[in-house]
Amino acid sequence: MVENSTSNIQNANLTADEIGQPIVKIEHLGKSFGDHIVLKDIDFSVCKGDVTCVIGPSGSGKSTLLRCINLFEKPTVGRILFHGEDVTAARKPNLLRQKVGMVFQSFNLFNNLNVLHNCTLGPRKVFKLSKADAEQLAIKHLKTVGMDAFVNAKPRQLSGGQKQRVAIARALCMNPEVLLFDEPTSALDPEMVGEVLAAMKTLAENGLTMIVVTHEMSFAREVANHVVFMDGGVIVEEGTPQQIFENPQEERTKLFLSRN
Amino acid sequence: MWNILSEYYIDILIGVGYTMLVALIGTVVGLVIGVLIGVYRTIPDPKSKAALVFKKIGDYILTAYVEIFRGTPMMVQAMVIFWGFAELNGGRTLNVTVSGLIIVSINTGAYMAEIVRGGIISIDKGQFEGAHALGLTHTQTMFNVVLPQALRNILPSVSNEFIINIKDTSVLNVIGFTELFFVAKDIVTQTYKTFPTYLLVAIVYFILTFGISMLLRFVERKMDGSKNYKVLGSQNLDAESYAREARNG
Repeated sequence: MVENSTSNIQNANLTADEIGQPIVKIEHLGKSFGDHIVLKDIDFSVCKGDVTCVIGPSGSGKSTLLRCINLFEKPTVGRILFHGEDVTAARKPNLLRQKVGMVFQSFNLFNNLNVLHNCTLGPRKVFKLSKADAEQLAIKHLKTVGMDAFVNAKPRQLSGGQKQRVAIARALCMNPEVLLFDEPTSALDPEMVGEVLAAMKTLAENGLTMIVVTHEMSFAREVANHVVFMDGGVIVEEGTPQQIFENPQEERTKLFLSRN
Repeated sequence: MWNILSEYYIDILIGVGYTMLVALIGTVVGLVIGVLIGVYRTIPDPKSKAALVFKKIGDYILTAYVEIFRGTPMMVQAMVIFWGFAELNGGRTLNVTVSGLIIVSINTGAYMAEIVRGGIISIDKGQFEGAHALGLTHTQTMFNVVLPQALRNILPSVSNEFIINIKDTSVLNVIGFTELFFVAKDIVTQTYKTFPTYLLVAIVYFILTFGISMLLRFVERKMDGSKNYKVLGSQNLDAESYAREARNG
């Protein structure tokens, strides 16, 4: 099964519409860096259209969990299923990453390319789109995030909020089945946080499947349909925003939320 | 000095030509060798055992190449390669120009390999992750994102190598290559005017290196591009005109 996993990723969208079948399912996932245990026995799944917010204190393993989903980190134990197929030991992780996008805390825009070419590089190299088609696609998504006027700018000429919106457009150009957000607003000043969250909200309303690691509680409360609270490498509690924010069951959750 | 120049300017120009030819081709080929080695050395370790062993063997060979050619004088390398070839071919020597090009190229390659590796590891890890997150392969990431930035960053070091090569081709006179220094020695044997000849040649060397230095700094500024950019005005342009403006922009 492991041997076939890469080829199965390509066929995965055939089963994407099966209702109730999770796109991403994580089973008994554990990760340690040497003796340091970061994640312990994580189980959770994401279905089509879900907006999952992962919250919790720093160092609780949220980002590591997210980075395991697109295989940036190799889990020590457990499995990651993409449309039911085990991709944990995929030989070609890039095939999975074509379908699972990621937006970073530090933007990671390509410094040598302007805004337009940041967005067209993926579609052109991975999907072999023509230059014109890729540009049209890029402009469509840059419009979604309100950055279409800046196609000629280099990343260094943009503000943090603008960079992050371009990074979101770049990820959208790959038409991902799931988009992972790794603390997308943590490097931004308060005024810019708003413009990025607004863009993300639009995507959620358009039905994009998203997993968002965030410290923005109001965003999680308002936009998510599923909230996961992590601490010390385990999922302490999960549920709807109402359950987590208004009626948390665990003491640890109450303590964390009372401080935010 | 001026008498020498007016009498021997054709010989000097030939010397300049050969010096610049070997320095330029040697630097370019050396850079290509350096880029290939640099990319090879940053390939993530393959998963299968056999491929890993194969890659490790390659690594050892490249390390040996870099260390040997950095660790011995180019003048000695020139003698060993030139006469080594003759030894293996029953006394028939390789053409001196070809020998010179080969020697300078592989010698420069050894230095460039380390320069390029330094340039690649100086690029922020986020640039790799940004590309990998889109599903790009290691090679695609290297050639589209990392190397363009790494090459810009190492350009000052590449200029350095070019200038060193212009001067160091003078050691190729030991295999009888007609570069600038060889021409100078030749002029001295005919005129016995040692000081003015070498002073003249020193000035010519300086003009060459300083000119190249200026030229490459201009190239660096060009690569950095404009500090300004145009914000496209109307929000109502259709996709095609955006793309067109972006291209012309």
